[in-house]
Amino acid sequence: MAYVAVSGGREAIEESIRLLDYHKSGTDKDIEIEAIENKLSLLVDRVMSEAGLYAKTYAALALKQCEGCVEEAVFLLRAYRSTLTRNYYTNEVDTEGMRIVRRVSAAFKDIVGGQILGATYDYTHRLIDFRIGEEIFEDARKNMQALLAAQTPEPVAPCPRVSDGLRKEGLLDVCAKNDQKPLDVTMNAPVFPAERSARLQTLARADTGFVSGLAYSSLRGFGQAHPTVGELRCGYAELCVPYLFDENESVYIGEILLTEVECFNAADDTDRLKLTAGYGAVFGRNENKAIAMAVLDRELDAGGRYPAQNEEFVLTHGDSLEMNGFISHLKLPHYVTFQSKLDAVRKTRGTEHE
Amino acid sequence: MDKKRLTKILARADRREVAAMSAEILKTCRPVILKEPGKTLAMIKMREPVKQSLFYIGEVIVCEASVEIDGARGIAVLMGDDAEKTLDMAIIDAAVNKGLFEGESKLLELEREQNAEIMRENALFLKTMVNFESMDGEAPNDLNAFKKA
Repeated sequence: MAYVAVSGGREAIEESIRLLDYHKSGTDKDIEIEAIENKLSLLVDRVMSEAGLYAKTYAALALKQCEGCVEEAVFLLRAYRSTLTRNYYTNEVDTEGMRIVRRVSAAFKDIVGGQILGATYDYTHRLIDFRIGEEIFEDARKNMQALLAAQTPEPVAPCPRVSDGLRKEGLLDVCAKNDQKPLDVTMNAPVFPAERSARLQTLARADTGFVSGLAYSSLRGFGQAHPTVGELRCGYAELCVPYLFDENESVYIGEILLTEVECFNAADDTDRLKLTAGYGAVFGRNENKAIAMAVLDRELDAGGRYPAQNEEFVLTHGDSLEMNGFISHLKLPHYVTFQSKLDAVRKTRGTEHE
Repeated sequence: MDKKRLTKILARADRREVAAMSAEILKTCRPVILKEPGKTLAMIKMREPVKQSLFYIGEVIVCEASVEIDGARGIAVLMGDDAEKTLDMAIIDAAVNKGLFEGESKLLELEREQNAEIMRENALFLKTMVNFESMDGEAPNDLNAFKKA
């Protein structure tokens, strides 16, 4: 069979793109970007995390553009990000000093600073609330604003890490500050064994489902035993960049919402046991991803024969854009390559049906 | 007032408040725009507690601008894409550097309001703090219990 280049479908493609609007046209009602940003904020957080770009309004816009498809929204944000220069690197973010909105420990009930449940679905009944369909959001907002205004101000106090106490006791390894410049996986693909900075950045950007599934495999027996969430904290961290005209000054550029987790495992320490920790941090309120990241961080440190312990496996298959791009390409025309496969199969089966 | 405190108040302030402060400055001087407000990225550098190493968690969109007032330069970098507010902040920064800024008392007032708002919100979160009541009078010390487990 000779190779034949074909073209066509241009008009069909244009009509297909136009038809996307048809699927959004089942109602006269529109959904405002501000509403997506504030009422679907966990979805917005997920998109920002997987895009590696903290931009709430743009994430909401992207979600609206693609009918709420996470991977398309991630694609749009990544594509937009690639059109911008990067003129700044923030100073080191102090997550220990974050303004906490939620903080729990599964390891200790009494922790310095207390366990703050914050807003969580953990204790809600998972029953659909049909009243929401009739809810008047203006009233809901006014009620919350009134509640906020009625509060007696409470000073914001940073909470020390739960792991600090274990380090002081010598139960967790104490590491000296390592100021090595991090690898940036958006600029350089990691080589294996990967630097720790490459691992953490890759996992922080990874698809939530992929990270969660791999961590789950580890918990089910394809990895180490059940870890303990030493601390899960969610809060606002300040971002600053150096001030251009004075190196001793810095500029506050805003704050971001982060979820951070430390998980503890027991490990051998020559003739005794010690504790080890895994770390996870993600944009927004995305607890399961942060916990899963911490589980995988520890699994990768431990190494072993299971998928969750294989660094190359874990770090090269979880990027939303890459995985969905590759899977998606399977539905595009493969006429020539499939013809070749077909020829090969036919040859092995003789020529009786030709 | 150091730059971090100044920019924190301005960044948290409503854009109309910042515009009003900038407008006051514009009554007496004409800044030259060195860099029109435009979007760029800032990479966020974090330090993780386990190995105390640095890593990048991701980027954030910021708007930046630069102006000059009679030889004194001012800059602004602000999360998001509010070009006008960023330019106003750069004008205020240049005025501060030139010694022309007279709105410090307004800044302090804004800071008080902002802190009060944050503390009220904090009160909401602190209401969800758990008060454990032990059901066993001889409950062991938490940390020791964890070591034995």
